Amino acid sequence: MAKARPIPGLSADDPYTRAATKIVGVRVGELVAHASGVLDVGDIERVHDMRVATRRLRAALEIFGPCFPQQDLKAALRRVKELADALGERRDRDVSIAALETIRASMAAPDRPGIDSLIVRLRAEQSAANEALARFLAEDKLATLCDQLSELVAGAIVPIDEVTELPRIHIAGEAA
Amino acid sequence: MKARRVKRLDPDVSLEENAARIVSVRLAEMRSFAPAALDPANSVAQHDMRIAAKRLRYILEATGFCFGKPAQTAARRARDLQGLLGEMHDCDVMLPAIDTHIADLRVEDAGALREKAGDARALDPALAARARHRTAYRGLEVLTVYVQARRGLLFDRFLAFWRAQEGAGTWDRLDRAVAGRLHEIKERRRAEQRIENARRELEEAERKARRAAAELAAAADYPITDRTSGTYPDR
Repeated sequence: MAKARPIPGLSADDPYTRAATKIVGVRVGELVAHASGVLDVGDIERVHDMRVATRRLRAALEIFGPCFPQQDLKAALRRVKELADALGERRDRDVSIAALETIRASMAAPDRPGIDSLIVRLRAEQSAANEALARFLAEDKLATLCDQLSELVAGAIVPIDEVTELPRIHIAGEAA
Repeated sequence: MKARRVKRLDPDVSLEENAARIVSVRLAEMRSFAPAALDPANSVAQHDMRIAAKRLRYILEATGFCFGKPAQTAARRARDLQGLLGEMHDCDVMLPAIDTHIADLRVEDAGALREKAGDARALDPALAARARHRTAYRGLEVLTVYVQARRGLLFDRFLAFWRAQEGAGTWDRLDRAVAGRLHEIKERRRAEQRIENARRELEEAERKARRAAAELAAAADYPITDRTSGTYPDR
């Protein structure tokens, strides 16, 4: 599992809103960085890493909820949750198939057909989950999500004396 | 499971103070599932504890540095707990999935047998011996036994892990670190308030002194002294 990226320049004394923009910015970057190769069912860790990235991002959005315009926050959370759910559907099948293949290897030959039949069923479900996930990972969809998150961060409710010091995230280039 | 609401979050105060409030609620939330989740049959409470451990882990990943070593240790342990409960949850998902699969195979085989029987008055048992999925049932039953036993083993590990953390004081130390930080913040704020009050009192006292001096000077019909130079204007 990918470790959480450190948050550069984060301090305990940071005003909450400034910390929010720093942390959410990094978490969005993590999400984008893990988007490549996710549809490859031959490497199930990629989907796992992206799923964990969505969880970290959702956690950050929930933790720092009071810092953002509430309507924009709700919309962003909904979009991230939809993506997370799609990743979860794929991940559940990946985990089950991997577990069954390990168990199968230790089973007696007469016991294997039953497990094979279940694996076949799960492979079909995995394929359907992958197709659904592909719709979320289309470049334009991902770019739209990033724009939405970028605007959310830019719209953070900041005290007047903080305005000039706010960091900004630049995601559009990273998504390509 | 809906997360408990964290009260008194304030965008205008520090990360540390808000994080302390969130960690405190998330930790209490996770621990609140302990009595129920320690019952092996209560998979709902175990699932809720897993979600709560996940929430605690993610807030500690981002803000644990505010609370020192107890937070680092608790973050690792919350991750371990989440992993263990996650494996148990995988078993809880797998068991009904196997049952559903067996039921589906049975329906399919029975339907096919019925079709083959046609208008016969009795069903020939030999037809069942040729059922399409006849070789699958045995392995699936063995798999059910395996997953059920694995769940039991994982539960015992979870129980031992939970008791070890309670015994080692992992959660208590985090709780104390967070409470201590909130107490320090409160004390600092009180001290700042006392300084502010003292400053105001001093200003007020100076204002009163100036007013008294002015009144005194007016009463004596004598020009007030220039306090900074200490000189008197010419009469």
